[in-house]
Amino acid sequence: MAKAVRAEPEPELEVPVPVRGPERGPIKLRVNGEKHELWVEPRRTLLDALRDDLGLTGAKKGCDEGTCGTCTVLLDGKPIYACLRLAIECEGHEITTIEGLAQGGELHPVQRAFIEEDALQCGFCTPGQILSVKALLDENPNPTEEDVRRAVSGNLCRCGAYPHIVRAALRAAKGLAERPGR
Amino acid sequence: MKRFRYARPERLEAALRLLREPGAKALAGGTDLLTELKARTQEPELLVSVQGLQEPGLRGVREDERFVRIGALTTLRELEAHPLVRDKLPILAQAAQTVAMPQIRHVGTVGGNLMQQVRCWYYRHPFVRCWLKGGEECYAEEGLNHRHAIFGTSPCIAVHPSDLAPALIALDAQARVVGPDVEGELALEELYRLPDERSRARTVLGPADLILEILVPKPSEPTRVRGVYLKAMERATWSFAVVSVAARLSFEPGSEGVRARVGDARLVLGGVAGKPWRARDAEAALRGSPLTDEAIERAAEAAVAGAQPRAHNAYKIELTRALVKRALRSLLPP
Amino acid sequence: MAKVVKVQTEFEGRFYEETIVVEGTEVEPWAPEQPLKLVGRPVPRVDGPEKVTGRARFTHDVRLPGMLHGKILRSPHPHARIKRLDTSKAERLPGVRLVLSHQNAPEIPWFRGQTRLFDTTVRYVGDEVACVVADDEETAEEALRLIEVEYEPLPFVVDPERALEPDAPRVHESQPNNLVNGEPEVYERGDVQQGFAEADVVVEGVFRTQTALHNCLETHGSVAHWDGDSLTIWDSTQHVFGVRFQLARALGLPLHKVRVIKRHMGGGFGSKNQAGKYAAIAALAARMTGRPVKIVLDRFEENLATGNRPATIQTLKLGAKRDGTLTAIFHKSILNAGAYAVWAPSASGPTKRLYACPNVRTEDWAVFTNLGPFSAFRAPGYVEGTFALESMMDELAKALGLDPLELRLKNYAEIDPITNKPYTTKGLRQAYERGAQLIGWAERAHTKRARSKGPKRVGFGLASQIWGGSGGPPAYALVKLNPDGTATVVTGTQDIGTGTRTALAQIAAEALSFPLDAVEVELGDTQWGVYAPLSAGSMTLATVGPAVRAAAEDAKKQLLDVAAQLLELPKEGLRVEDGHIATPKGERLPVAEVLRPLGNFQIVGKGARGPNPDDKNVNTFGAQFAQVEVDVETGEVRVEKIVAVHESGRVVNPLTIRSQLYGGVIMGLGYALLERRLDDPRRGLPVTPTLETYKVLTVADVPEIVAEMVDLPDPEANPIGAKGVGEPPIIPTAAAIANAVADALGVRVYELPLSPDRVLAALRGAQAKKDEEEGEEGEAS
Repeated sequence: MAKAVRAEPEPELEVPVPVRGPERGPIKLRVNGEKHELWVEPRRTLLDALRDDLGLTGAKKGCDEGTCGTCTVLLDGKPIYACLRLAIECEGHEITTIEGLAQGGELHPVQRAFIEEDALQCGFCTPGQILSVKALLDENPNPTEEDVRRAVSGNLCRCGAYPHIVRAALRAAKGLAERPGR
Repeated sequence: MKRFRYARPERLEAALRLLREPGAKALAGGTDLLTELKARTQEPELLVSVQGLQEPGLRGVREDERFVRIGALTTLRELEAHPLVRDKLPILAQAAQTVAMPQIRHVGTVGGNLMQQVRCWYYRHPFVRCWLKGGEECYAEEGLNHRHAIFGTSPCIAVHPSDLAPALIALDAQARVVGPDVEGELALEELYRLPDERSRARTVLGPADLILEILVPKPSEPTRVRGVYLKAMERATWSFAVVSVAARLSFEPGSEGVRARVGDARLVLGGVAGKPWRARDAEAALRGSPLTDEAIERAAEAAVAGAQPRAHNAYKIELTRALVKRALRSLLPP
Repeated sequence: MAKVVKVQTEFEGRFYEETIVVEGTEVEPWAPEQPLKLVGRPVPRVDGPEKVTGRARFTHDVRLPGMLHGKILRSPHPHARIKRLDTSKAERLPGVRLVLSHQNAPEIPWFRGQTRLFDTTVRYVGDEVACVVADDEETAEEALRLIEVEYEPLPFVVDPERALEPDAPRVHESQPNNLVNGEPEVYERGDVQQGFAEADVVVEGVFRTQTALHNCLETHGSVAHWDGDSLTIWDSTQHVFGVRFQLARALGLPLHKVRVIKRHMGGGFGSKNQAGKYAAIAALAARMTGRPVKIVLDRFEENLATGNRPATIQTLKLGAKRDGTLTAIFHKSILNAGAYAVWAPSASGPTKRLYACPNVRTEDWAVFTNLGPFSAFRAPGYVEGTFALESMMDELAKALGLDPLELRLKNYAEIDPITNKPYTTKGLRQAYERGAQLIGWAERAHTKRARSKGPKRVGFGLASQIWGGSGGPPAYALVKLNPDGTATVVTGTQDIGTGTRTALAQIAAEALSFPLDAVEVELGDTQWGVYAPLSAGSMTLATVGPAVRAAAEDAKKQLLDVAAQLLELPKEGLRVEDGHIATPKGERLPVAEVLRPLGNFQIVGKGARGPNPDDKNVNTFGAQFAQVEVDVETGEVRVEKIVAVHESGRVVNPLTIRSQLYGGVIMGLGYALLERRLDDPRRGLPVTPTLETYKVLTVADVPEIVAEMVDLPDPEANPIGAKGVGEPPIIPTAAAIANAVADALGVRVYELPLSPDRVLAALRGAQAKKDEEEGEEGEAS
């Protein structure tokens, strides 16, 4: 049952909680396996931190309000919108951007598949699309077409590369599956 | 975005204390709040992140004898994928799957989804100062109200956008709340209110109140309960509901197939009112009678009786009727 | 030698008399049957690696040392005079470097003088009022809120029909009737009255199309940087040379002091055909502050101020003989041009030329209103006009009891009805045949019966497409051949995402007989590039491709000259084969080896686009077929399948052309079903300026699309035989879907998008009519 109560003030706590900002202060981010210390205000979004403070411009600012998907990055391996996340909230998490995908000059299989299937035109949404597909394949190496559509349903492509994106994802899955040692 | 201070307490007491500071606001997944901060429809002085809280029960789904218990910080993705939800609360799993897109489901929380602000295009418009934003008039009432309410009376005719809320109300869920204004367990239905001249708030919670858990009662005879969540959207995915229906029926023992007799009925509509809308007349029409075509027609009519369409949203009545019928038909026991 | 000629050119579906310079680079066209090695192959995009790694640099990504950020204050009123503007508080905010407004900016005319860079009268919600330039975006945004503006609201009009009334508010004082150009544009051939008199059947309808927003994912924006008296602008544009021209004129600079760069661009679709005010403002602000200035619009501004596909109201009347032969067409289109316009799309284009009809009259009324100005949007006018015309053709077929495809073939235009010239190629008949086969047109009655059940109704529809896409002069290219056997193609065109870089690399490598990876293409820079026109009107490849080929052929010729002398062999017997010099004796010597004695030097090949044929029309054609399922309870339209078959001459790259076809169809699908800007008429206020309120399709909305080209190399069109394909695939999509929906329901929706509310309303209307008729019959008996 609901009861409206006027709670008594809590007793003073022993350890005060640090309150940061509103001025700039240090925050620690781990991006593509590298540690960074940034000097930013708490209101800095992860997207602005990546693009303006770290110069990682692969994540794009298409709308800055969670309606386009071009800012998609991975947070602990899961796709998120960097524009709807405060950088300060990402402390202690591992962030992967498109710049962190190719290893040792070798394109990731998803990147290769996007080129081979021509899963892009202007290329602006491409980093986000690729990261959404990568997250899917990490979780589910044998996706159905329906799985792929669900996984990239939060990434708009105004050029309409969708059919090729789906094919690229399935091609990458197949390629990954056929890799020796899997 | 206006500048703010930020704290990330680990203990609930600390969070509650911080939230009592003037201008404080809780931050969970942030996927709705950040859009408000950017649009400056919210300008908190202090953001209290609840993501660092170590309180047991705040994250994840578990069950005890009476309830399936869902932590308020459980993400929508965890919710839709959780075996307990999939097996025991399919209505909720279906609703969770229709929320936004993977990127928001990975971050957005159950509590945040229930507390989200309306999407009215006037409210969210930078050049508009409507009643809900502290202005004088509702722009939608005489303006473009294609997506607005057909039920309920309020100075603001924006609709409540949550998918989880209708599903959870259909499941008779309760919210466990802590804070200075409300504390204890609250029927989820009681959480919501229509804004009125006294208050523009859409819930009974104050700024320092937090939802900790959602408790969903387990049916005593699960085999006789069936439910479904249907959602009409502008496009195939990644849309708020134009109209949604959460329907849950229990069938009386011994009644099978087409002659199955409805025991209890819950029918909750989304996208049609300033809060999740119980179609009580339709529920009453269903109770105690077999789920025949005629009963379904009657219920669908009852669901839209009293609807008050505005200049551009009369189609929602037809849509609601169609969705209710479709939902009920899908619940006929095999 | 350069020749100056007056020609009639076609651009974005309209004809223009133009004076152009033509250089006759004589290149023998590739014959249709000539085997080609690279052209016609599905070559992956050459800039793919940049784009998949995040290395591709867009205008948004340009960051310069010391760069400032500009934010624009925009009018919240549809029509107002600025009575007072006080920027002093904003200027005092720490971090603010400059506030630009009419008070301190030069009076630069914009939209051919209809307004100024900063005007004292604002004419739509979103019109530019001032710009804050600050150290960072947050500060600029903060400062915007400190600018005080007192507006005197003026009467406004947003409905074009209302705007045409004599007592309507004037958008521009100088234009009393609110008509763009002061009068409607009228076209007439034959005698329409006579034509309708001769008709056995006349059908008429009024169609409405919505305002559609481009929503390029990369919003419009520029970065401006001065080095002494030289200006460099990075601009998200479809026309680097156009931006150079426009900015030089606006700022009073000589052309050689303005450099415009665009390496990659996140979509344009016509909205980036010209320089935006933000570019001029950035340039001015950079000069005044002495620091680079970046102005990037946010999504909200993008959707208010960067253009749209304007709404139309179209009245269409067709007359035909019993056998289907068209006798007359009348088409009146009212177009909501918004506040400023220097041209206007014509919805009547397809009406004039898609069918052989002797008597045609069209009227295009482009009307000023207090809404955001339109801009070109992928086949401007033709998408809207084709929806009306092809819908009406289906109504005519229904009235005559003819198959819609049969009716179209009955009126097939063998020569162009406007110019009376034959076409170089016209693959429309093939497109109809192939499309009908792929959709199962002949079996559709059976499919409909089998698939329609419960509240679901299945229907089929088709629509045809005609468009320009010939391209034409002037355009130039250089091919710089290096001594190591590599080559750099340089031209001042731009790749707007369509695959221009890749296609030009294929063409150059083909002409040089070099391997593809030995060729690099440099575009999108006015300083290094040679002139090429805007990337619009589906003309880039057909314009620049021949110039590149000519430059490559010229370089190859010089290479053979040089090789002959170095090898002391007669030139006639030498050939280039896959990067080697092949001798009559059967030797194959790598180019690098042959050229080694010359050390570090370069062969420069030059090419220009030659003229189009005088005696023939160059057009593109296509047909699309749609299969839909409509839910009569919810009004939802689900497109199950689209077949798109198009003819645009030679296919240079079947892989990237399929992307173009998919892209056009998907954009057309969104336009047909979903996309619409809504404007509150009481306030002149667009209420859908975000991607949440203005929805575009997601991957989950896309049905099966079968896209094919009728590969008809067109040697008469130009020496590469290719025509444009950027716009054709969006043209017939909405019409085909509308026809399929009408087929499914037995009742037509005359308004786009075909949203559930409209479908339900149409069904209600049909039911009411039926009840009424039955009621009358009841009374009669």
